[in-house]
Amino acid sequence: MSFLIIPCYIKTNWDIDCLNRLLKSVQNQTRTFEKVYVIDDSSPLDYHLNFSFVEHIKLSKNGGPAKARNIGIDKALAENAKYILFTDHDCILDSQWNQNMTEFLEKTEFGAVGGMTHSYGKTLYDYYHDINGTLNGKWLLPHRKELWYMPSLNFGMKANVANEFYFDERFPTAAGEDVDLCLRLRSKYKIGFCPKAKLWHDFGYKSTVTGFKRFIRLFKKYKSSSATLYEGHTVLLWDSSESIYSGNAYEFNI
Amino acid sequence: MSLIYRRRANQPSFTHVLNDYMGEIKPFVKRINKKRLLIPLVVLKSIEWSIYRWYKTPIRRFYGVKGNELIYMITKRCNEKCAKCGIWKTPEKESEHIDISIFIDCLKTLHENLYQVTITGGEPLLFKDDVLTIAEESRKHDIQLITVTNGVLLTEEFLEKYAKLKHILVISIDTLESEKWIQFRGNDTFEKAIENIKLAKKYLGDNFQIQSVLASESAPDIPKLKAFCKELKIKHVIQPYMDFGGVWNVTKTENIPFKEFSCAARKNICIYPNGDVVKCFDHRRIPLAKEPLGNIAKEDIIQILCKKRSTEVSKIMKTCDFPCKHMSCNVPEIVYN
Repeated sequence: MSFLIIPCYIKTNWDIDCLNRLLKSVQNQTRTFEKVYVIDDSSPLDYHLNFSFVEHIKLSKNGGPAKARNIGIDKALAENAKYILFTDHDCILDSQWNQNMTEFLEKTEFGAVGGMTHSYGKTLYDYYHDINGTLNGKWLLPHRKELWYMPSLNFGMKANVANEFYFDERFPTAAGEDVDLCLRLRSKYKIGFCPKAKLWHDFGYKSTVTGFKRFIRLFKKYKSSSATLYEGHTVLLWDSSESIYSGNAYEFNI
Repeated sequence: MSLIYRRRANQPSFTHVLNDYMGEIKPFVKRINKKRLLIPLVVLKSIEWSIYRWYKTPIRRFYGVKGNELIYMITKRCNEKCAKCGIWKTPEKESEHIDISIFIDCLKTLHENLYQVTITGGEPLLFKDDVLTIAEESRKHDIQLITVTNGVLLTEEFLEKYAKLKHILVISIDTLESEKWIQFRGNDTFEKAIENIKLAKKYLGDNFQIQSVLASESAPDIPKLKAFCKELKIKHVIQPYMDFGGVWNVTKTENIPFKEFSCAARKNICIYPNGDVVKCFDHRRIPLAKEPLGNIAKEDIIQILCKKRSTEVSKIMKTCDFPCKHMSCNVPEIVYN
């Protein structure tokens, strides 16, 4: 009973290719999803999806990824979903991603789970993100038994948790809304880490030479959300944490 | 994080910035397996660090998680001369006392982030009308208000209005012996205070509490106070003695174990009578926080809280291990909306 929610905002043909590539990996899962929602956040580009298992919801007005995910959560809860998983259109799932994420939520007391994210590309920037853990979760120090936060591209929640903690729709872009959710969620539940649940994220760098601007833009976007987070989370924000990479990724055995 | 002295009030020192940079770079370098990529990767990490440190982003809006407590020292003036406290010794001049409307604007701006407003002093009831104005504004925003008073200036008229707003009132007393009372308070106000305690209980019911300071001077009186509160069905709170200019001594029997928690004072936004903003009324213990973060009479509170130094001070408070972290205002207690 796991449902997958994919928010998307399709601006270019590259985005369409990414989405199709993701849906192929969704199709190849060893454990199938009960439902897959692709929530189109009023994309400027028109496109059609040839995957019968997908429920394609097109929003009439652009509201940001948080709103798109919340619409997916509402639909999943209405259909009695037990586990709600999230990824982004520029990701590719490992064939056992759903199995590992869902089993983790089934077998542990954690309210939410994050998986291991690798870079899809082969540029210097991709290698940087891999060892930097840019889009991986962060261990809560000093024990490394739970996550401080987990980016929403490789994330899952139990239905009761999702019912209590929605994404804050006042975050206009895909930056900070997942950190915010995790900080609130951790007031009541814990976020576990499942290194076996792997996926690859395509940062979209064409080459090391031409990717520099994209690299700068990415961190500027993340920084732009941080002022908002500082204001809302003056207490929790400074908990010590450490980003996850292949060198410190292990499953804390509870 | 170490406590590092500032060069200027609003700017962390070079050493501080360097420490911050090295704190990011060192663990990152350990992750690099491909040594030939060491330099370009360190350059990229430095760029990322610089963006997070220097790239200025506009404050888009005030986001609403109710995680902060606004503590207003409404005045340093007091009608008593308690030995445990030295705040009354330096009363503010009339020109140093901000208009209540400035504080109300600050409360309105912050309300989405507040779970509690606390009014302290000095003696807050020297400004009864202002306390009631704050109480009304807090109720409008559904924020709990706690007023801490010595109890002498309470009146039925005030209690009647305060009770309607369903806020909490705390009277601070440390003995039930009239002779000791004069030593502790510097005034013979025992009878009046006890009379007002009973009055407060009548009007406020469970929203009324008594608070006592545990010091070597007051330790023998604490059990009697506990019994008194139990008899009158009043909640009794004990605070360890802290040096705020008083002349009492920390009791040896107190022996509070140093718990493994971080000081939660960084959740607090504290305002002095003149509008100065600090993260903790004990902020002078932290070198970087020797100067206030700003003044609400001159700047918007959000601008003050978003200053780089404000977040730097919050970071340092994470590792504060001063005894004041045991005070109720500094113990972690986060209320979420």
